[in-house]
Amino acid sequence: MAENSGTDPSVDANVDKNAAQDGTMIVVTVKTPKDKEEIVISEDSSVAQFKQEISKRFKATQEQLVLIFAGKILKDGDTLNQHGIKDGLTVHLVIKTAHKSTAGSASPTTSSGAATPQASSSSRTSPAAASSTGGGAGVTPAQPANILSGLGDLSALSGLGMGSSNFMELQQQMQRQLMSNPEMLSQIMENPLVQNMMSNPDLMRQMFVGNPQMQQLMERNPEISHMLNNPELMRQTMELARNPAMMQEMMRNQDRALSNLESIPGGYNALRRMYTDIQEPMFSAAREQFGNNPFSALGSNADSSGAQPSRTENREPLPNPWGPPATSASENRATGTSTSSTSTGGTAPNLSNPLGINAMGLGNGVFSSPGMQSLMQQLTENPQLMQNIMSAPYMRSAVQSMAQNPDLASQVSPGSTPSQQQQQFMQQMLQMFVGGEPPSQTPEVRFHQQLDQLNAMGFINREANLQALIATGGDINAAIERLLGSQPS
Amino acid sequence: MFKVPRNFRLLEELEEGQKGVGDGTVSWGLEDDEDMTLTRWTGMIIGPARTNYENRIYSLKVECGPKYPEAPPTVRFVTKISMNGINNSNGTVDSRSIPILSKWQNSYSIKIVLQELRRLMTSKENMKLPQPPEGQTYSN
Repeated sequence: MAENSGTDPSVDANVDKNAAQDGTMIVVTVKTPKDKEEIVISEDSSVAQFKQEISKRFKATQEQLVLIFAGKILKDGDTLNQHGIKDGLTVHLVIKTAHKSTAGSASPTTSSGAATPQASSSSRTSPAAASSTGGGAGVTPAQPANILSGLGDLSALSGLGMGSSNFMELQQQMQRQLMSNPEMLSQIMENPLVQNMMSNPDLMRQMFVGNPQMQQLMERNPEISHMLNNPELMRQTMELARNPAMMQEMMRNQDRALSNLESIPGGYNALRRMYTDIQEPMFSAAREQFGNNPFSALGSNADSSGAQPSRTENREPLPNPWGPPATSASENRATGTSTSSTSTGGTAPNLSNPLGINAMGLGNGVFSSPGMQSLMQQLTENPQLMQNIMSAPYMRSAVQSMAQNPDLASQVSPGSTPSQQQQQFMQQMLQMFVGGEPPSQTPEVRFHQQLDQLNAMGFINREANLQALIATGGDINAAIERLLGSQPS
Repeated sequence: MFKVPRNFRLLEELEEGQKGVGDGTVSWGLEDDEDMTLTRWTGMIIGPARTNYENRIYSLKVECGPKYPEAPPTVRFVTKISMNGINNSNGTVDSRSIPILSKWQNSYSIKIVLQELRRLMTSKENMKLPQPPEGQTYSN
């Protein structure tokens, strides 16, 4: 057995690293449920030293490692010898991600470092979610960042100062915390467990179903429950939600498709219908938690004005998106949950994005940088596109939330140079938003693109077109409606 | 039928336990390395994913009596667990409710018992059972 020392070149290389240890080197296989690595270590070393090696190889911290050999958990203070770990034997490894080790149950959440208690608190909430969510929808306990918090193990939460036992409150608190701390958010999103969870459609489905508002929604719109029940679709949605670039792509396509839809006479109505049927209830549902729904006014205005769906024009509900209603906007960005993500992104549920999951809502801090950037660039270059986009309500809230937190916006391009531009751009957007359209230009100039379009469509009365455009603030479709309304059809 | 002597079997299982045969989700070994009778074993089950047992490590005690492998071992959970067939107050595994214990064959082994218990964790009736907080053990 002693002959195993230093014969392999690899062992020699490692021997340098392990220079502190004497004794023969042994090769121990470390096996996780997913992985297997061979670690060379001195046979006299302690479990702690062994863990050090392992943490390097597996890229986990030592606290996360739990080693098992022959049915026993290896404690840091033990030595490999003690357990009879010899060359060629296998040790099992469990990497505890976002979970405390099996020692200690309720309290130590507060003890670990900055982000981990957040993560583990969310993981704490998830066993709660397991027991309480949707009455037995039974989410597995290991879901971190599960915003569908619930009861159960509140002792851990109270350690964090969240002593409330009402899980609605808890949920809100969680979300607020997350909102106020985008780093935490990004960390949570980066957590592979989250991603795992999100890649599990069954789980997501359970989460959705578990939320009472969703249930309400589902009752009203059976399509949603169909969608939920269709695993293919779920998986796709999950993919989207997880992959921000893809999401952006998808959204852009959707935007284009939607704007095409809008330009079909009558198509606008369909859109509006879609919005009212699906989005509104979601908004209202989320509203209870999140405060006023800036779009409800829009919706009701549209309804009351009948044939005048003057969405862009009506600026009332958006007094100053970057102003006081911080809570609604910021909480609109709440992530992770189904309903919150659906309503907040405000992304209209559409065919390929059934729940309107807004990845921007989901992964603001970390995700969506390249996609967003290019999107932004496109937007700046093409104000027309911007207009079209603005006219879609869902884009609104996304932009709102982006602008709500300029830090977030700059986070959107993490560490990259265009942060300056981003800031600038945000300013511009802000202007545009509040102003509604690029200021200090004559209506004709402003709308000349729309005028052209209207012309092409066959509205030859330039005057009337212009009037309509001015009245609707550049919204072509509204203008068309206006024009059609004034003409005998 | 060729009957393998008890100690041979157990030594074999010991070796397997140390070599980590299997997929790494269960582990077993002698509780006490000096135990010449090879009776008391400790086992470990890593909770399967997508169940309420996920990411938890369950510690068990397995006792292979003198009649092993003709007679099944007695198994007891040390870590608290909520699962069908496991006594809630002391963690003993009810041999009548766990199929491979009730229909024991001498070709079965500790590994198989542990793997079977793990598999049962994924069953519909067990996977969603609310679990006690992590890290609790039965007092005996």
